[in-house]
Amino acid sequence: MNEPQINLQTAVLDDGLGLISAAGYINNEGGQAVADAASELVGGGCQSLVIDLEGTRIINSIGVSILLEIMEKIMEGAGKLAFCNLTPTIAKTFEIMGLDQYAGIFSDREAAVTSFDTDGTA
Amino acid sequence: MEVVLHLPAVPNVELVAAKAVETLGEAMGMDRDGIEAVSVAVVEACLNAMEHGGSSFVVRLAGEDGVSPRMRVEVEDQGRGFDPDACPPDDSTRVHGCVSKRGWGLILIRELMDDVQISSRPGLTRVRMWKELENAP
Repeated sequence: MNEPQINLQTAVLDDGLGLISAAGYINNEGGQAVADAASELVGGGCQSLVIDLEGTRIINSIGVSILLEIMEKIMEGAGKLAFCNLTPTIAKTFEIMGLDQYAGIFSDREAAVTSFDTDGTA
Repeated sequence: MEVVLHLPAVPNVELVAAKAVETLGEAMGMDRDGIEAVSVAVVEACLNAMEHGGSSFVVRLAGEDGVSPRMRVEVEDQGRGFDPDACPPDDSTRVHGCVSKRGWGLILIRELMDDVQISSRPGLTRVRMWKELENAP
């Protein structure tokens, strides 16, 4: 569960929704890697993103702070962001640090993707 | 059952402590959610030790028997110390558009663990924390 290197995969889904799958340790380097992937997707025209953390078991507050910066940039551009497949500890960490006030938190990828379809807000 | 780690302040060394938490937690019968909560807490304590401490620090892990069996974790450094009472409050307004996004370590530790004791003076800071086996996040 403690892989120091983060493994990222990105894709553009239907309707221009960006998807980032992150597996590994979200520390300063892992958080920055996610931020860079998000910037690339947004720069390519994705207004909204889903970040799937199914393969991520451990994080730290520095990495989460970098994720907060992603949220701020996306929100400044009127985009939306959703997370899915969080462990209970990561979900609680996001709640403590307030990420859940600005991004949708969903149990799985399908629910996260569908949330953009149904009401346009994640 | 006790594990003592003398760790250098080098990048990602906190994962060594997290791995020890995983190994000890499994041996104690702690569930996955509990292990992951302790892992994040010990990672934050290690990051604080490296930021405020010297070139190395010590992590001690132990299982405690009793009516409510629990894991005890201690992270100790010999840095300049800090005032635990002066740490930022749990205030979510810090998040969006705030000046600084740092300083969450002790807040996360206190929220993820069942009991936390912090003592600090110049030359010795010790964060001692406990997680009961049955208490998930």
